Amino acid sequence: MGERGTKEYTFWTVGLFAVIVAALFPVLWLLMLSFKTPATVGDGSFIPKEWTFENYTTLFEGGLDSPLLRPLINSVAIALIATTIAIILASFTAYAIARLEFPGRRIILGGALAIAMFPPISTVGPLFDMWRALGIYDTYLGLIIPYLTFALPLAIYTLVAFFREIPFELEQAAQVDGATPTQAFRKVIVPLAAPGMFTAAILVFIFCWNDFVFAISLTSSDASRTVPAAIAFFTGESQFTAPTGNIAAAAILVTIPIIVFVLIFQRRIVAGLTSGAVKG
Amino acid sequence: MGRLAALGAVLLACLATACGDGESSGSRTLNWFIAQQPGGALQKIADRCTQQSEGRFKINIELLPAQADAQREQLVRRLGAEDTTIDIIGMDVVWTGEFANAGWVRQVPEDRRAAVSENVFDSVLKTAQFEDKLYGAPLWSNTQLLWYRKDRVGDTPPKTWDEMIDKAEEIGPAEGQIQVQANRYEGLVVWANAMIASSGTAILTGPETVGLNREKTERALEIMARLGASNVHAPDIDTSNEGTSAIGFESGSSSFMINYPFVYSSAKANAPEIFEQLRAAKYPQVDASQESAPPIGGFNLGVSQFSENPDLAWDAVQCLVQEENQLQVTELEGLPPVREDLFDRKQVQDAYPDFADVVKESIADASPRPAETPAYTDLSLAIQRALHPVTKIDPKDVGATYDVFKDDVEKAIKREGLL
Amino acid sequence: MSVAVPPQAGAAAEGKKQGVSDRAKAERKLGWMLCAPAVFAMLLVTAYPIGYALVLSLQNRDLRFPDEGGFAGLDNYITVLSSGLWWSSLGNTAFIAIVSVAIELVIGMILAMIMHRAIFGRGVVRTAVLVPYGIVTVVAAFAWFYAFDPASGFVNGLPLIDDDKAWFGERWSAMAVIIAAEVWKTTPFMALLLLAGLTTIDEGLYEAARVDGATWWQRFTKITLPLMRPAILVALLFRMLDAFRVFDSIFVMTRGSQDTESISIVGYNQLISRLNLGLGSAVSVLIFLVVLIIAFIFVRGLGTQTPGED
Repeated sequence: MGERGTKEYTFWTVGLFAVIVAALFPVLWLLMLSFKTPATVGDGSFIPKEWTFENYTTLFEGGLDSPLLRPLINSVAIALIATTIAIILASFTAYAIARLEFPGRRIILGGALAIAMFPPISTVGPLFDMWRALGIYDTYLGLIIPYLTFALPLAIYTLVAFFREIPFELEQAAQVDGATPTQAFRKVIVPLAAPGMFTAAILVFIFCWNDFVFAISLTSSDASRTVPAAIAFFTGESQFTAPTGNIAAAAILVTIPIIVFVLIFQRRIVAGLTSGAVKG
Repeated sequence: MGRLAALGAVLLACLATACGDGESSGSRTLNWFIAQQPGGALQKIADRCTQQSEGRFKINIELLPAQADAQREQLVRRLGAEDTTIDIIGMDVVWTGEFANAGWVRQVPEDRRAAVSENVFDSVLKTAQFEDKLYGAPLWSNTQLLWYRKDRVGDTPPKTWDEMIDKAEEIGPAEGQIQVQANRYEGLVVWANAMIASSGTAILTGPETVGLNREKTERALEIMARLGASNVHAPDIDTSNEGTSAIGFESGSSSFMINYPFVYSSAKANAPEIFEQLRAAKYPQVDASQESAPPIGGFNLGVSQFSENPDLAWDAVQCLVQEENQLQVTELEGLPPVREDLFDRKQVQDAYPDFADVVKESIADASPRPAETPAYTDLSLAIQRALHPVTKIDPKDVGATYDVFKDDVEKAIKREGLL
Repeated sequence: MSVAVPPQAGAAAEGKKQGVSDRAKAERKLGWMLCAPAVFAMLLVTAYPIGYALVLSLQNRDLRFPDEGGFAGLDNYITVLSSGLWWSSLGNTAFIAIVSVAIELVIGMILAMIMHRAIFGRGVVRTAVLVPYGIVTVVAAFAWFYAFDPASGFVNGLPLIDDDKAWFGERWSAMAVIIAAEVWKTTPFMALLLLAGLTTIDEGLYEAARVDGATWWQRFTKITLPLMRPAILVALLFRMLDAFRVFDSIFVMTRGSQDTESISIVGYNQLISRLNLGLGSAVSVLIFLVVLIIAFIFVRGLGTQTPGED
């Protein structure tokens, strides 16, 4: 670590600023749209000429029956539950595939990839029928299961790539020290695979958060409808007017949980855990 | 666990309020699947009919998404699965043929036909029929008018499309734009159908026969192409819909707009100075010698084939479309009623001050889209594909467009090919 | 730098057969048990629908005409494959996918390095970079559409841009906006996976290289890139698979007009709009096959090591 001159700091300040602006500029546009009145929403200016908070307040009118509150709760709950289960299942599977010898490893990996490739829209019809027959239509479980299915492949692949990077000697060393395989897994592997797990968690969470296709077809009421589907029900001033302000406001509000989630999880995606371990 | 608790709570509440009348027939819940309308009229009329049923049924509104395509998607998924939870369906006027042919909706029973079609415009009734049988009870209608600015156009609006485009060019592209709907979606089909019908021919002359007289269709296409090639169409014409046309008009760049009456209250709320100058006239003619055939929209109420309470459902439907409720829809949503005799009522006159007659005449003369074919969505997709973008149709060579158009329409009603 | 599963399992097999087969059996059992829940979850949802779609694709099924039906063999596939619309939309999809993924790879790599090495504000920049990926997809597409629309957007008001430019009225400008929207939305995905890959690289290697006098570029190409290969390939593979199924951006902006139609829009039109289940399922199966071929190219052609191989 050399000394950090002002030149380096300036470089980083300018660079980071540029990156943040580029990444968030369209979000800023959404923010501006959310403050525009229906009269001026289409006037073509970036900064609202007339400001209003109504787009936000109408979203929560009616307490638990409001257009956004229940769906927001549903989205958060479903995404969290699905992410937790997905990471646990994916970790087990990835560990097995990366570390153990058993027939069918390749098939499972290939199969998982194939499932990720199939267009979800074709699965919606049969799923609708299946879920109604099983009674899990319009429930949390009804959405969590398809989310698991379509998020597991990516999670598994990411984690397998990670588990493979961890030197086998570490596990051996732990076992020599007397740890059972489970303990070795928990105390040695998991901390080293943490960056991978948190990466996968973020990706799975955002996948569940953003999904529209399943959310609109496998729910029929606020009991389990998530935000992307709820937005499709927003009405404008007439059946032909798009509720642009409301949609923009909903989109902004709904990124807040994402920001919180990512802010917490990204901290664990750090280097140095693998590099130090082998020498030590 | 949660569901059991919820069920328990409902039972307790039921016992506490003694719901149902305790005798042999308890109150049945009828599920009415329809998209929310912003004014809240639907809940009001549903509640009124629940009350008037005196305990026999309760109408529960199940909301559908705001966009027509999404509504149809949700409905079709359930109907295709023979879902018994649907009782009453709010059907867009173009779904009748498709739903009826697939056996998803019931015919209106003989003894109720007179009640739901009394005094209803012929054009509106046609939208609820398939193969000359009635499958729905019209609830509200809709049509498009020519909206113009008195301060730029004067007191007498143009009568024909050509006159209108001439006048617009005279005013100039900065202030004389003509707003239409020409994105690649159903709105384009609405426009095309109205133009073709106004020219004196029809897209279909029977469920499986194509009309499209060459000379007349080419005349209609010529006008559409002329607008597309001129400098007085909206700059976003190729992605324009009802909403963007209204916004464009309210921004001051336009002098003419073809749109539904919702623009009246929209302008009143959003652009008061322009609202002062806003006037309405009948849909422009293609030919000076022939009355125009404006588009027709609206919703009809149908009863699902798989409903477990068809009689009660028809009772509910009959109640929902009665005079009082139609007028409430007009009052709260600004949508025209389906009965001719209601146009001199206060609610209609208030919703359309000075132009209620224009609306009435427009609906009376309207020409429905060719939904007599159950393959209407195929037809719609084909028309969209053939005519979009309007800016690329050559006004000097509409014959080429006509040939492609007719060919696509013929293939579409036979459901051939990929769309 | 991948470490192979230890040779003990194989080598020892030649030795004490009794103990080894027990061990191998135990390993096998453990392996299956660990995989079972995930496999079950994945199959439960997809086995029936995928099978059903395959069966449907071989039939004449139109939901609107329930009385018709019957085996159609490969008719649906022939209809699709002989249609110009399929091939042009396939071309569009490939174009959009390749261009956006290429751009995302480069920008994603730069972002990953920034997220990895920022000397301050790491949390903030990482979160900011990921926010685009978290915006509801349809709303993001709508925001881009709205910004570029001549009437309601601000882009046409910017200097150097024609006031009346109809971005969605011409093929290439529409493509540009679609690709820009896609890149903006999913670069974070790449960046995140690449960042995770960067964290596995041993810092010591850089030190050693620096001592040996290697330049930044040499360190990048000789250490970073090769060691990141697994991460890059997972990122590229999954991103490519998704890119080939682009739907929302195109649907919201042009609805597929101006020759920007993608294969997913074609599938949607047949399956959902026309309710032609046979034809729509055939399109879905074909989309699946297209994506399968791409995965195959990646895995075999580019010498990808799928993570499970040694």
